[in-house]
Amino acid sequence: MDLPPSTTGAMAASDVPLGASPGFWREAWRRFRRRKLAMAALLFVAALTLVAICAPLIVGTRPIVCQYKGRIYFPAAWYYNRDWENPIFAKDRFRGRFAENLQAKDPQSWAIWPLIYQDPYRRIRENEWPGQPANPSGAEGRPSRYNWLGTNQQGFDVLASMVHGAQTAVSVGFVSMGIAATIGITLGALAGYYGRWIDVLLSRVIEVVMCVPSLVLILALVALLDRVNNLHLMAIVGLTHWTGIARLTRAEFMKLKQMEFVAAARALGASPGRIMFTHVLRNALAPVLVPITFGIADAILIESGLSYLGFGASPPNPSWGTLLSAGRRNIEDMWWLILFPGTAIFLTVLAYNLIGEGLQEATDPRLRQDAH
Amino acid sequence: MTSYLIRRLGIAVITLVLITFLVYGLIRAMPGTPATNQLAVMDPSKQLSPEAIARINRLYGLDKPWYAAYFVWMKNVVVGDLGVSFTRNMRPVAELIVERAPATLMLSATSLALAYLLSIPIGLWATAQANTVAERTVSTVLYMLYSLPAFVAALYLQLLLYVKLDWLPLYGMQSDAYESLSPVGKAVDVLRHAVMPIACFTYGNLAYYSRFIRANMQEVVRQDYIRTARAKGVGPRAILWKHAFRNTMIPLVTLLGLSLPGLFSGAVILEQIFQWPGMGRLYFEAIGQRDYNVIMGLTLMFSVLALAGQLLADILYAVVDPRVTYG
Repeated sequence: MDLPPSTTGAMAASDVPLGASPGFWREAWRRFRRRKLAMAALLFVAALTLVAICAPLIVGTRPIVCQYKGRIYFPAAWYYNRDWENPIFAKDRFRGRFAENLQAKDPQSWAIWPLIYQDPYRRIRENEWPGQPANPSGAEGRPSRYNWLGTNQQGFDVLASMVHGAQTAVSVGFVSMGIAATIGITLGALAGYYGRWIDVLLSRVIEVVMCVPSLVLILALVALLDRVNNLHLMAIVGLTHWTGIARLTRAEFMKLKQMEFVAAARALGASPGRIMFTHVLRNALAPVLVPITFGIADAILIESGLSYLGFGASPPNPSWGTLLSAGRRNIEDMWWLILFPGTAIFLTVLAYNLIGEGLQEATDPRLRQDAH
Repeated sequence: MTSYLIRRLGIAVITLVLITFLVYGLIRAMPGTPATNQLAVMDPSKQLSPEAIARINRLYGLDKPWYAAYFVWMKNVVVGDLGVSFTRNMRPVAELIVERAPATLMLSATSLALAYLLSIPIGLWATAQANTVAERTVSTVLYMLYSLPAFVAALYLQLLLYVKLDWLPLYGMQSDAYESLSPVGKAVDVLRHAVMPIACFTYGNLAYYSRFIRANMQEVVRQDYIRTARAKGVGPRAILWKHAFRNTMIPLVTLLGLSLPGLFSGAVILEQIFQWPGMGRLYFEAIGQRDYNVIMGLTLMFSVLALAGQLLADILYAVVDPRVTYG
């Protein structure tokens, strides 16, 4: 600092290697990649997301693509949105049974089917698919050739429910933490950057939200809504789980606002909003990502816990928690309803925790020195 | 210190008022009232006469809008009256809480004690044996346990110990034949019922604490004074226990302070799964029955404990670390 400019220049020239030094994120990614477990977890989450996105292509009773009466349709899109079914199938009275109706109503038709012919919303009947028996139900529905993970009380395939339920798990995690991150980062940034009474006020708000029993909050909000859907659950989880993110953002901002680059930005005439959200946030983002990742695991836990207690999204909604709750009611003779969805929840939570920890160690400068 | 305490207490009271106000508003906004809950509808004998309802409504301000009724509730609380339960034969809320507390404490105090008693040796052992195969295995298993949701673990345990092996009862706190048992038999019976809930309560904390201790210890054992101690010939055990562990006590004590409120609030979901007649279950049932006073009484208690735990953690911090003072 106190050195004359010429000396500093000479030092910089001799010490700093030529070419751009690796940026923060690249460096963090390099560190993250070194951790085998964290990478495995990242791959798991990527695979899970892929399964969630492609659920109707993996398990379903509707063709992915079919040609019917000379035109091409995508009946599997129905699983994403009920309105995306072409009216022609309603007009021709398909009633969701494509396998038998396609051939019967248009012998020229062809179709590409999902990998497994099972449905999360109904029971498969005998010979609906050539040679496939009807789904067993109740205690008869143990895992078999046709129902790899068994069937539930009503004879719905468990594997189908779990694959389609992955959509719930993945989207609940991302959407609710998106909401929580938006609230938490904004409030934390304001409190940390401005300090004084804004900080006092916002810190109180954070403390109150932290201390309000989240169960009351969630059950009250669920009771207020008539028909709960997954979006409601995501909003509720997001609105109640931003405090950790806010507190961390606040601490980071308090630290960073003392740095020279903030003073420099201010001297250049940047607006507070610009300083906060382009200059400071950029540097605070890495530590803030850690509670967000752990938050995703939490959100998945809460969603499955709520579904398990019977406060989840209204049926018919394939969710891992709903399967578990059916398993609990039939614990004496339907173990497959507990073992498989329980493992899915466990692995997903574990994966997000591992990623969070990997991120923490890859981005925390205090821990970084130990790696060398 | 005194002025610090007064300031903290003042802030805590404001926070408390805000929390209870918010919760009161929320539960009054839930559709249905205690008089219209399912129990009362299904069983006419439990229904109250219109006069009784009117009297209670007046007494607890339920005929007023919720923000006005909140102040009626608060006024009653200030003079020590938590109100009565509308769905449990008008029994005082304080009495209900006192009645349910032992069951919850039995689970949570045992599990907290177990978690600390086991995690300290595990954490120290993991530091001493760092990076051996045994240590890595134990640490990995603990990490996986930490990620295992308690309700999944509860179901797995029930599946294994009740359905498969038939060693332990599925849920509840007592068998049907409890009354006819000898005193020893009674104790054994309750213990048998408590094994699974306690296990589910404990394993997560155990995993968390031992990882916490290990992480802190690893930071401490790199310090210069540890090297000094080693250089002057202190044995490895004495270094770990006397020099290193003492300095990891500070975060541990903070953690203890923060976990004390959990003693009472317990795990609502776990008590629900094991049908354990504790306060968590009371809370859950009260929410379902819209039993306002019970919800508010328990919320108040849990919040007071949570705030007190935070304060206690800060004070203990100053006690164990002489460098910390509050002005």
